[in-house]
Amino acid sequence: MSFSRRQLLIGLSALPLLGASVPFLPNALAAAAAEAATGRRIFNLLVNPEPPSLSSFNTTAGTTVTASSKVLEGLLRYDESLTPQPGLAVAWSVAADGLSYRFDLRQGVKWHDGQPFTSADVAFSLDLIKRYHPRGGSTFANLLAVDTPDQYTAVVRLAKPAPYLLRAFAGGETPILPKHLYETGDPLSNPHNNAPIGTGPYRFKRWQRGSYIEFERNPDYWGVDLPVVDTLFLKVAPDSAARLAAFENGSLDAGGQSPVPLSDLARITQSGKLKFTTRGYAYSVTPTMLEFNLDHPLLSRHEVRKAIAHAIDREVIKKVVYYGYADVSVSPIPKNFPQYLYTAPNPYPFDIAKANTLLDEAGLPKKGNARFSLILDPLPYGDSYARTAAYIRSALARIGIDVQLRSQDFPTYTKRIYTDRDFDFAVVGMGTMFDPTVGVQRLFWSKNFRKGLPFSNSTHYNNPEVDRLLEQAAVETDEQRRGDLFKAFQKIVIEELPSITLVMQQQVTVFSARVTGFETDGNGLDGSLSDVRLGDEAIAHG
Amino acid sequence: MSIIAIQPTKRGHSESVWAALRRNPAVLTGAGILILTLAMALSAEHFFPGDPMDMVAAPLLWPGADPAYPLGTDSLGRDVASGIAYGARASLLIALSATLLSVTLGVAVGALAGYHGGRLGDVLMRITEVFQTVPSFLLVIVIVAIGNPTVNIIALAIGISSWPTVARLIRAEFRTLREADFVTAARSQGFNNRTIILHEILPNALAPLVVTASILVASAILIEAGLAFLGMSDPNKPSWGGMIGSGREQIASAWFLTALPGLAIIFVVLALNMLGDGLNDALNPRLRRYLP
Amino acid sequence: MVDRLRILRLARRTLWQAVPTVFGILLLNFLLLRLIPGDAVDVLASESGGATEATLALWRSHFGLDLNLGQQLLAYLTHLAHLDLGVSPRFNMPVSQLVFDRLPNTLLLMVGALGLALTIGIAAGVLMATWVGRWPDRLLSLAVLVLYSAPGFWIGLMAVVVFSVTLGWLPSDGIETLGLDLHGMAWLTDRLKHTVLPVLTLSTFYIALYARLTRASMLEVQRQDFVRTARAKGLPPTRIAVRHVLRNALLPVTTLAGLHFAALFGGAAVTETLFGWPGLGRLTLDAVLSRDYNLLLGILLLSSMLVVLVNVSMDLLQAWLDPRIQVE
Repeated sequence: MSFSRRQLLIGLSALPLLGASVPFLPNALAAAAAEAATGRRIFNLLVNPEPPSLSSFNTTAGTTVTASSKVLEGLLRYDESLTPQPGLAVAWSVAADGLSYRFDLRQGVKWHDGQPFTSADVAFSLDLIKRYHPRGGSTFANLLAVDTPDQYTAVVRLAKPAPYLLRAFAGGETPILPKHLYETGDPLSNPHNNAPIGTGPYRFKRWQRGSYIEFERNPDYWGVDLPVVDTLFLKVAPDSAARLAAFENGSLDAGGQSPVPLSDLARITQSGKLKFTTRGYAYSVTPTMLEFNLDHPLLSRHEVRKAIAHAIDREVIKKVVYYGYADVSVSPIPKNFPQYLYTAPNPYPFDIAKANTLLDEAGLPKKGNARFSLILDPLPYGDSYARTAAYIRSALARIGIDVQLRSQDFPTYTKRIYTDRDFDFAVVGMGTMFDPTVGVQRLFWSKNFRKGLPFSNSTHYNNPEVDRLLEQAAVETDEQRRGDLFKAFQKIVIEELPSITLVMQQQVTVFSARVTGFETDGNGLDGSLSDVRLGDEAIAHG
Repeated sequence: MSIIAIQPTKRGHSESVWAALRRNPAVLTGAGILILTLAMALSAEHFFPGDPMDMVAAPLLWPGADPAYPLGTDSLGRDVASGIAYGARASLLIALSATLLSVTLGVAVGALAGYHGGRLGDVLMRITEVFQTVPSFLLVIVIVAIGNPTVNIIALAIGISSWPTVARLIRAEFRTLREADFVTAARSQGFNNRTIILHEILPNALAPLVVTASILVASAILIEAGLAFLGMSDPNKPSWGGMIGSGREQIASAWFLTALPGLAIIFVVLALNMLGDGLNDALNPRLRRYLP
Repeated sequence: MVDRLRILRLARRTLWQAVPTVFGILLLNFLLLRLIPGDAVDVLASESGGATEATLALWRSHFGLDLNLGQQLLAYLTHLAHLDLGVSPRFNMPVSQLVFDRLPNTLLLMVGALGLALTIGIAAGVLMATWVGRWPDRLLSLAVLVLYSAPGFWIGLMAVVVFSVTLGWLPSDGIETLGLDLHGMAWLTDRLKHTVLPVLTLSTFYIALYARLTRASMLEVQRQDFVRTARAKGLPPTRIAVRHVLRNALLPVTTLAGLHFAALFGGAAVTETLFGWPGLGRLTLDAVLSRDYNLLLGILLLSSMLVVLVNVSMDLLQAWLDPRIQVE
């Protein structure tokens, strides 16, 4: 024998020593150690999934908005009640007829390349947004022109009133781009879409694809002594277990859109090193909805949809699917628009017996195990829609509807729902945005039924009265009257059920306890993060 | 002169394959576990009536907390024990049908390539190489992306990605065996090629094929688990890989959701590997006992 | 002299045979990808939150997606002839840049995993063969069998829970700690710490495989006549074990190691997703999800060529080791 047993035992006993010699960092101190080593204040923000581009003038992709808003700013900012605050505009006024908006711009602001920011940039950008932004086309549909009487004044002139317009100027939604870098060539293939130059608190430094995006502090930022953070990393972390570990060992400081499993929130925030909040999402609340293909022979029948509505217990969806982080809602308009909200009780409360009766009376008796079968397509974004679909399957089994779930990736899903219309019903989630005209109308307006266009009217709902109400509300400047129009609209759709709104999701932001300064922004982590502070401010910075 | 009667030497014999299998502890354990799993899969309705995907109880119950749900519940309140029992069906079904497909394809291609050789053999081996050089897991992902993740498509994808192994093995066997005497004899007796391939050579190539098949079934289960981890599993049927996939979110707090189906996978794959090992030993003529 | 000539001829023949294989791979992938519903423009449109019909048509003609299959294949082959892998519509970058940026990360993972698997696997196999039938062999065999049967990502997940979440010893995401400008030993240590868990996850299956194979192979070789002769000659046992037995037993192992290179690409995809490792495996998944044909073809082409290269090297290595192998 070449090895003797003794030699082997000696060899094995040396292994623990090997392990102990590997230096390790104790829990939750990785970031602090980095800062201690370099003297720089570093903020690690999560982006999941990795953004496709870094400029949000032509896209509403969630993480692009997150990345873009650090570099590119908007004319205004918003607090939690969506009241406008100064951004690149310091003062503003709306004409009495609602057809012109005057913005007094901040003076002395420079682009990251040193060029001065002027009203010409504003005029150029708004036109760009109108032409290329998926929502900009309808938000600025009535835009006639942007006058620039002097370098620091911009007057937006409209053909018809747009009562929601003042809320449309957040940096992520309507970024102001440098005219001198975008005026030549095709804006869609401009290299600055992946290396943005803006006026924001952070400058783009590097994009390591698949790993991270690096931003550095803008020393010429217009905010006094801001930002405090020296380096901002946007880290890509596709796996939930890895994200959880990253939060716990300190390599992530903040992450939005419920970055860790909600069932783990209580556990990881127990020690106080991590905190969570549901604030910071006022700019866009996302409802979970069940949308029907109204061209389906069975689902075109109102009694069938009513029966389905009676079979769903929204409380279970809130408590089980969303772990309690959701608000039950019958109306497609969320609570943060109290002036528009229709508050009458649900005409189709949870009632299994009633549902069964409705189906029996509709002439759809049970044949064997089930009355009929349907295919349900949940939106493949995160897993909450798939979980909701699993619940719907369970719930509808109780009234004799056999639901088959279909799993597919994102492009297959959008093609199926919006182009081929090859679906029965789907679980969707589309942001209500900063105004119902912008976020809710698109789902119910018959003129927004366009095959091949993602996130349009997928149900093929066509009600002339609803169209009239929505179109009037889009230009109604009197808040009271506008509210009445919206309430009438909600009454109809809640009764007719082209879709069923289930809950309004509460998004959760997880952040390290040392991080402050983002929750009061209506956009939360999608704001510019200029005011973020990382605990003690004793370290001086240049 | 007395004639000394010479006793005829008593001839013993080598034990049969069946006897070799029976005395091999690996084969017995492996087969035992597999039979148990199969029984569980077939009788799931008896022990767990109702739909395993139904949300029946409070979510995230730990095993043992509620006697009605001995293995706990998942994040949607579904019974884990029921899921594991019914999950055996999907996992075994996918694995067995995928292996059947790859064995059929592989034997067809390999037999033709090995027996005829020449131009046909070259072309067939070229095609085999193409499929073998593409990373198989990526091929599976592409095929599943073409269709929807359903049990059938997943089985098809796994089958298509693993037939080259069988083809190469069968080709090697056929190349050796086609020179054997009994084949020459059969040919001289006038049997046609098809008969020779199917009735003469193939039965002799069965031994390594069976061993490979057991390994293929095992790897099919592992591939399905990997697919489920990436989110590509059939959402309508419980499968062990799918349970690991959906339980992954709770790995830090309710790790039993990942551990239990993982253990189930380990057991079955272990059983299949032991069976394969045992078959390999039993079919190896040098390891068979001599029974005097 | 004759030896070198033989090897050169073998090399030339195998490389020549690789060309149709690579072409076949190209054709296969091209056809498969066209079967997936939806195209890159659908993805761009849905990711941006919508687009007008005019924009969709513009994008399609810009990326050449409105041509028919034959024309697209021809266009791709023409670009390929100029060594141009095309541009990725989703990332808005040349494919070659995307691929070569991530290639080192994946190679690190694969070479690390294979290296670790070979080292630990062969060592374990030797131990098991040395004490065959006795308790170290039985114990190791059982451990190896369990390792062989467990899904790699499951072991990875458990490892993350233990080493990253609970103990906090090892990081669980990325290839390095960001924000630290490390140099020299500190940089190396940081990179190594990030590499441990992913490499371990990827290698578990192969550790077990090589252990089993080495054990079986060594037992097989030990029975051969030349080993008996060596023992009869009175050679020291270590020398017999290493120079005679192990050297011959390693032949099947090296063959397999070459074949596993292709399989590792796939396993890397799962591992890279689990650990947020910016490698080619994850890039492939992203490419499939975003219907990025150029990128996907580029990756598959590259990985296939790499596999062919490794196989050729393995063939040459074996030819060098075993003088009986001739050019057919």
